[in-house]
Order: sequence, then structure tokens, then C-alpha cells
Amino acid sequence: MRTKTNWLVLILIAVGTILILFPLYMTLTIALKNPEEMTRSVFAIPTTFHWENFRNAVNMTHFFQAFRNSALVTLCTVVLTLLTNSLVAYAIARNMNRKFFKGLYFYFISAMFIPFPIIMLPIVKLTSALHMTNLVGLTILHTVYALAFNVFVYVGYIRSIPVALEEAATVDGAGTWGTFWRIIFPLMGPINATVGILICLSTYNDFLLPLIIISDQNSYTLPLVQYIFQGQFNTDFNLAFASYLMAMLPMIIIYLFAQKWIINGVTQGAVK
Amino acid sequence: MKKGRLLLACVLLVSMLSGCGSSDGAEGKVKLEFFQNKPEAKGSFDKLIAKFNQTHPGIVVSQINPPDAETVLKTRVVKNDIPDVIALGATDTYSILAQSDIFTDLTQSKLLDTIEPNYIKMLKDITGMDRVTAVPYATNANGIMYNKTIFKEMGLSVPRTWDELIATAQKVKDNGMIPFYLTYKDDWQTNLPFNALAPNLVGIDFFKQLREGKVTFKEKFREVAEKQLKLLDYGHGDNFGKNYADGNRAFAKGEAAMYIQGSWAIPEIRKANPKADIGFFPFPTGNDPDQIKLISGVDTLLTISEDTKHKKEAEEFISFLLEPENIGQYIQEQTAFAAVKGVNQEDPAVAGLLPYLKEGKVLDFADHYLPAAMQLNSIVQGFLQNRNIDGYLQTLDREWDKVQSRK
Amino acid sequence: MTKRLTAFYWMTVPAVILFFIFMTLPALQGVYYSFTNWNGFGKHYDFVGFKNYVNIFTDNNVGNAYWFTFKFAIVTTILINILSLLIALGLNAKIKFRNFFRGIYFLPNILSVLIVGYIFNYLFSNVFTIWGKNSGISAFSTNILGNENLAWIGIVIVAVWQGIAFNTILYLAGLQTIPTSLYEASNLDGASRWQEFWKITFPLIAPFFTINMVLAMKNSLMVFDQIIALTNGGPGRATQSISHLIYTGGFQGGEFAYQSANSVIYFIVIAVISVLQLKFLQGRETDM
Repeated sequence: MRTKTNWLVLILIAVGTILILFPLYMTLTIALKNPEEMTRSVFAIPTTFHWENFRNAVNMTHFFQAFRNSALVTLCTVVLTLLTNSLVAYAIARNMNRKFFKGLYFYFISAMFIPFPIIMLPIVKLTSALHMTNLVGLTILHTVYALAFNVFVYVGYIRSIPVALEEAATVDGAGTWGTFWRIIFPLMGPINATVGILICLSTYNDFLLPLIIISDQNSYTLPLVQYIFQGQFNTDFNLAFASYLMAMLPMIIIYLFAQKWIINGVTQGAVK
Repeated sequence: MKKGRLLLACVLLVSMLSGCGSSDGAEGKVKLEFFQNKPEAKGSFDKLIAKFNQTHPGIVVSQINPPDAETVLKTRVVKNDIPDVIALGATDTYSILAQSDIFTDLTQSKLLDTIEPNYIKMLKDITGMDRVTAVPYATNANGIMYNKTIFKEMGLSVPRTWDELIATAQKVKDNGMIPFYLTYKDDWQTNLPFNALAPNLVGIDFFKQLREGKVTFKEKFREVAEKQLKLLDYGHGDNFGKNYADGNRAFAKGEAAMYIQGSWAIPEIRKANPKADIGFFPFPTGNDPDQIKLISGVDTLLTISEDTKHKKEAEEFISFLLEPENIGQYIQEQTAFAAVKGVNQEDPAVAGLLPYLKEGKVLDFADHYLPAAMQLNSIVQGFLQNRNIDGYLQTLDREWDKVQSRK
Repeated sequence: MTKRLTAFYWMTVPAVILFFIFMTLPALQGVYYSFTNWNGFGKHYDFVGFKNYVNIFTDNNVGNAYWFTFKFAIVTTILINILSLLIALGLNAKIKFRNFFRGIYFLPNILSVLIVGYIFNYLFSNVFTIWGKNSGISAFSTNILGNENLAWIGIVIVAVWQGIAFNTILYLAGLQTIPTSLYEASNLDGASRWQEFWKITFPLIAPFFTINMVLAMKNSLMVFDQIIALTNGGPGRATQSISHLIYTGGFQGGEFAYQSANSVIYFIVIAVISVLQLKFLQGRETDM
């Protein structure tokens, strides 16, 4: 019974994917139509593809500049987060019996529940005093804020790595830092994948933090640009949808190629 | 080791990306930051700025038009990084900022010489201050747009009283067409009839007396509420499901005979249909046509930061914008009206409003006098959904009291 | 050993300092302002003691926002977990194209909440209404986001559409940790599918169930982007969440101090709920 394909389940799952794909199908077709075609049929596949919607959207939103900014912030944040947050979590995980580190654990985690609006204005004041109202400041803030969730995730994982491995290394004369970089960090591949992917997604898609931090228009990220676009060109849906699609496309493309790796990454870390 | 190489690649990519930052060659020139809050006006200001930069070689003006501009401006104030020249609507936000003393006092400035005194007084009323800290630039109008083609086909004329308005709407409805394309999914759209009805039926003085605690909404606003409800009978099937953008498109395509809207929507409507034949008349709030006034407020005012190091250049820029040729170009592109005397809007769509502006039969938007913290828009939208007049008037009074007591 | 400990301190202290400066300090400043009447940008403000807090408890807009947020959070959390568990069970069954389907179901998770909201906003207004009209049911022929009583369901739909993705993948991971030998044994005992699920599957994925509940609950209690993109809190205040109230009241309304007091209470509420859930989770882990 368990060796054959279960057709009923297959059909239900397939119906479910239609529900998932329908909004995306609509996005794609609307982005490729012009207003006349919309009035003819909302659902049909466009008869002629209006690629100029994309060209116009690229020009109007300065897409490539915004993309460069988003990519820059996202990449730097991911790299910095992986290197620093794991280190912090390692120190905490190996000393949970000490009051100081246990306290730190809860200190970081409790920040997950701080509503963002309450820190918004003080943050604005602080970042401008420190000349951080730019992409570098944004990266630092993302990395620091990521600690709350990542400490939670990393500590759980590191505690599942046997201490015996490190003790062996210590006997061989390796210091604590060396042990971490040479023994522990390489063992954290799965959880690093999880954290990396999640941070990548949340940084790339974030809009409230860049909205209040970034002053220079040349440093706007993709979601910010979409937000302006929504106000500016809201009567032309085809153009707006082309622009939405453009903003989502980089992630979708990465996902298409690295889908298996991404899903495995998310799950492997979670299983522990 | 594979991971190490991946990391290295990332780092390389990052450094490559950060390497291609740009720098502009504007050394030795005075840089002015011009902050403005109207996304629709970005293109028009871009053109004017280009012209200014060309004719004033010592100054470089750059425009900033962020999303959610009022919030961003407040954060800039917190940062103590106030833009040199700021363009805003004459709203509650302007009033709060003006009271925080962040704008240069322009009461004696020559910049105000050519401005219609009516609009300068409006600013004083809004802030409640004797000082003038801004130059009114462009003004707008709130009324009812109509589709001239449909009016002609049905043999309708422009209604001049409330009863005529309802009769006209009824005729359109009987002909199987939508009388008003209501766009009440956006809460600020529900507020447009309120903004027209309240000043005409109750008067702007009401808000002054309200501040002194002498009157209540409950005493004065029943008629406003009833008329707001009445309009709902002449909407379409999905009044609360369509938003401003939907409305502009639908009205442009001739799906409705009338559209309760502000003049700012005309460029948007023309984007959707350049051939749309639109007319505009003031909201006939009562039954005496001579008593009816047009609702017109300061859409854009220009201010100079108190802290700017370049006051002279900032004034130069503002006076450039005020030159009849330049403001003329701006108001034509934006279908706005000029606060500068003698500069007229020639767009046929708003021809019906000009007599009111010329004779000064003008009242300001009601919500410019109510604190933003009251969130008037959601109160009105909520009322139109539950249709409970007593509850609505109570809510208005209660929210007003609450906001006052929190100060 | 002390040298080792010193290293551990060096690993954490810089992070703690940064975290304190950028997270705790602003939060403390927020708490400080909640006792003032600062409007968010003016140069002057006064201390008002607990006045803001007293006003919060008599403000029906705050009560309304809490009611919406909890209604939304509970319904969304339950729906996300039921649906994603069902999908995960389906994906774990022996079916064709399993990896393909798995890829599709995770797709919404990589998209921006804001943009997804904009897309659905359009669909609710211009596409779903077409079906409503064709089906002849009047309640669906109008945009449900414009209906005081139904708008919150629209937001639930979008949140669930996007929220299912992550939880499904977590459940699927949990299901794959269960050795098939357990099922073979229960097959021999003649256990029904239903018994099999409750006796074997569910207990073994219980930790995933709890973590999914905590995450889904926390995310829905903080709902913000969806509201901005779909209804902006309307009609009236029917879909105003607590974060949306804090943002609009505190920034657009210029009542920063008052809404700071609201945030402090909100923080306490979320923290208490999450700690209770985490306690529950840890209790479970020790049981196993």
C-alpha cells in the first residue's frame, strides 16, 4: 500500500499548488499586458507580450541602482551575521551553566519581542549622530538586530555538538578561538545555511528600517523604490506589476537554481 | 574548504560592489537640498530645478522626494538634519512643525509680496501663529468632477444646489449609469465630502470655537453626516472595495458620470485616458447657490529651514520658483492653482472653478484644522460603514477630547 | 581554564555592547519618553508621569487594536499550522513530483510581504470580485477588504498564503525524522491511518508543532506590512493592528510619547505570551 503512488494525495497537493501559483500567474500576465488587453480579459495569457512595461519600470525606478544597493546590503549582512552571530552563540552555548552567559541568552532573545516602532525614533537620532544613515549603517543594524533570533537558533544547534571534539582540540594545544574556527564553525554548515538563507530573505525584503535610516536617494533599496512607485504610478497597473515582478525576480531566480539547497538548508538546521 | 572559497567569493563581490560608488563633481558650489512631499510633482520640480541649476551656476539644487515623506521629514527633524528648502501641504503636520520653530520667519520677507493674502491668512489660521513661516505656492480645489460627454448625452446641466445634485444623480442612476464613482476603500477619500460639507454648512469658525471648548460636533454636524450618508445611495456596487487609483481609472474610462475628487487627480486621470473630457464644479452643499464656496487649500507651501547655512541661496531658489513663468509651468502640469497673484490656470477642465477663486469665494479644507492624531479619516470611513449618525458624532467629540487631554 | 573563559568573554562582549547601544538603549529611551508628552520631534516636552498609561486603558482604539490583533493572530496561527501539517503529510506520502511540489510550496516564503500584499490588494479588488459576480453570491461580488466585518479575513488569507510555506517545510523535516520501521510495525498491528497519526506521527513531531506555533503566533502578533499593503487599518479601524496603531498614531499623529506607552504594554504582552509558550516547549523537550 505504501509503495504505490497515492493518487488522491497527489491530486490534493496539485490543487494546492494551483492556489499558490495563481497570484504569481496573475502577476506575470498583468505585467505583460497593456490596459486594452486587460479590459478584454483579466485572466487570459496575453496575446502580445508588452516587454516595454519592464523597460519603463527599470527606467522609472532606477532598478539597477536599487538592486545594487539591495544586493550589497544583503550580501554584507549575511557574511557578517554568519561570522559574528555564530561566535557569540558559541560562547553562550558552552557556558550556559554560568549566570552571565545564561543571562545574555535571555537578554538577546527577549529583544525578539520589542515592537519596532518604539525604538524607531531613538534609532534615527542615534544613527545620524554616528553618521550611520547609509548602507554601511543599515548593514550594521541588520547584523546586530539579527542576534536576537540567531542566538536562539544557534545555541540550540551548538549544544547538540559534542564537547568531546573541542576537548580533544584543547589537548592538542589549540586556543578557544582556534577551536571555534577550525572545529566548530565547519561543523555548523547546516545551521549556517539556515541562518544565512533566512537573513538573506529578511534583509532583502525589509523596508521599514531602510525607510527611516537611508537619507540619500541614491542609496535606496528595492522595497523602498517599490513603495515610492506604488504612490507615483498607481493608475497604471501593468507598469506597477512589471515593477513588482522585477523586485521579486532576483530572489526567484536564485531560488530556481538553488531551490533544493535552500530548502535543505532551512530544514537541516531546524531538525536539530 | 569549499565553504571558505564561497566566503572569499562573497567578500570579493561585496568589495567590487562597494567600489563602484559614484561621486558628483559639484565642489565649490552651494548645495541646496529641496525636500518635497508630492510624488506626483517630482517630474515638474525636476524640470524647474534643471532650469535653475543652469541659470544659477553657483548653486546646485537637488530634489528629495521620499516615500511616506511626512514621516521621513519628521525623522530628519529628529536627526537635526533639516533640508534647506521644504515643500509641504498646509496640513496638521506643517502646523506642528511650524510650532516647533524649525522654519525661518518670513513675515517681513519680500517673497510674500506677490502672494494672494487669502492664502497667507489660511496659514495663520492653521498654525494659530501670527508669524508666517512659509510661502504659499500652489493651491488645489476639492469638488465634483463630471464627465462632459455623459452629461451631454443625458441632457444634464451642472447642479448648483444640493437638491439639484441629488436630482442629477438620480437621473444618471435611472439611466442605468453610476452617478458617483465612490472610492471609499482609501479612508482619506471618504473625507472629501466631509471637507466640502463641513466648512460650508458649519463654517471654519466652528474649529476655533472647538479649540475654546464652546461647541461640540454633536450640536453642529448632524446635517453634514446625513448628507454624507445620502451620497452612498448614488455610488456603485462596491463603494468600499475601490480605491483612489481604481477610481481615477474608472472615471477616465467613462464608467461614472461624476467623481467627488480634488484637482490633484486630473493628471492621474489623463494618464489613464488622455482624451477624457472632464469638467469640475464646486460641491453644492446647500440650496442657496450664492452661498456656496469652493474648497481650496494650500497644496504646496515653501519653507526655509531655520538652521540652513544658505538662507540667501534658498530665498533665491524660492523666488525663482515664484516667477510667473515657472509657477505657471508648474500649475499647468499639475492642474493646480497659483497662490501668486495674476497667474491663472487655463486648463478647460477647471474653468468652472475660476470665478470662485477670482472672487475669493473660497474656504479651506476642514481637516486642516483637526489634529492628525484624531485620525479623522478612519472615523469617517467607519461611520459610512455602520451608518450610525449618533455614534459618529459621539466618536468625533470623544476623539477630540481624548487628543486634547493627552497634550 | 580561565584563559579559555577570557576568550569566551571577548567573543560576547563586543556584541553585547553593540546590541545594548542599538537595541536596548533606544528601547529604554522609548520607555523614558512614555512618561513624557513628547511629540517625536519638537525641542520641548514635559514629564506627565503615568498619564499616558492611564489614558491607554481608557482608549477604545487601543482595545480595538488588541481585539483585532488577537483575533487575527489566533485564527492565522491555527490555520497555518493545520494547513501546513496537512500539506507536509501530503508531501511526505509517496507521490510523484515530490520535490517539484515541495519547491512550489516554499516559494511564497522568499517573496516580500509588502509586494505580495500589493498583488493581493489588486486581486481582491479586481479579480476575486469577478468570480463573486459570476457565482451570484452577493457577499463575494464586492471587495471583502472594503467590508467592516470581512476585511480581517482578507488579511488572514494573505498571511496564511505566505505563512504556510515556512511551517510546511519545518513539518516536512520533522516527518522525515520518523523512521519508517515504526509505521511498518503499526501496520502489522492493524492500526488505522487515524490512529497511526495520533499515536506515532503527532507525538514525534510535537517539538516542531510547538516551535511552529510560537513562530506563527509571534509573527502574527506583530502583523504590520500586510496591513500597510492591504487595508491601511480600514475600513474605519476594523483591521488596525497594534503595531499599525503605534506607527500611525506615533508618527503621522505626532503622539510619539503616548504610543511609546502603548509599545511598552505591547512588549510586555508579547513577551509574556512567548515566555509561556517557550516554557511549554521546554517542558516538552524534557519529557522526551
